[in-house]
Amino acid sequence: MPDIFIAEPKEKNTAVPEKPYVLEKQERSDGPIPIIQSPMDSNNPVHLFSAFRKNPDGITFRDQEGEETILLFIRHSFITNVRWILAGIFLLILPILISLSLGFFQNPLPSLSNKYYLMIGFFYYLFVATYFYINFITWHFNIALVTDKRIIDINFSNLVYKDIAATKLNLVQDVSFAQIGAIRTFFDYGDVLVQTAGTLDNFTFESAPQPENIVHIIEDLIGKRNEHFV
Amino acid sequence: MNTLYKLFPFIQFNLFIKIGFLALDLFFILFLIIAVRQVFTMTTIVNDASNAVIIKGSVILLLLLSISLFLTALVIL
Repeated sequence: MPDIFIAEPKEKNTAVPEKPYVLEKQERSDGPIPIIQSPMDSNNPVHLFSAFRKNPDGITFRDQEGEETILLFIRHSFITNVRWILAGIFLLILPILISLSLGFFQNPLPSLSNKYYLMIGFFYYLFVATYFYINFITWHFNIALVTDKRIIDINFSNLVYKDIAATKLNLVQDVSFAQIGAIRTFFDYGDVLVQTAGTLDNFTFESAPQPENIVHIIEDLIGKRNEHFV
Repeated sequence: MNTLYKLFPFIQFNLFIKIGFLALDLFFILFLIIAVRQVFTMTTIVNDASNAVIIKGSVILLLLLSISLFLTALVIL
């Protein structure tokens, strides 16, 4: 008598522990294609002036979960720093311009000895160095992170204001970007808007480099997440 | 200024400038202490292993320079 049903022998449990989701560095012409890849293969350090990194190495953040992997590291485009860099350069050469112009006029403070001018000069250049530094760290600490579990937006400005917001990827409903103006188009940066569900705050990554790329990556992550709920 | 000195010879203008400079430098040091505190906090929130030393070192260097400027002004002015 033929057997109607024969149970197949049980295979050994060969389940491999789930690796974190990591973006592949290669991109196709129509956009980035995230592919599961071993995180150990990536070697992508974030430099001091980096504004955009996929799978960054050496970056950790507070409250990071054990298996949480950072997929995208975003700062404002470096071109946004040009204004304060030019202002700083002007401040650097301003004393030279003043001293040159004073050569044509009488010294307004003849009773002051040279040591006063020396100390004021040192103080001035220390002030200019601090101006450079404060503007730099304002740019440096304005970070957006996209991990395989959530999106984190860190705003830091005026040295005393910091705002940290995070949302889970499954709460993200839509991602879009705006790239308005010739300069933004030429240097390829724009604002990325991440819309979240319900009454939760939306996220805006201002002046983010490669905004289209970012939107594609987050859209893909959302799609990947949504597959679990179908 | 020389005219003012002739009118009020008992006022030492250089001393005023010294005190003003020291006060300004002191406020600057306080500002940099806040900057140090904020930078250390931010590097705790997002730790960039390769660049944290440069960022922290720079602000500490600025603070040390401003303190040394304050002490120098206290002595030589």
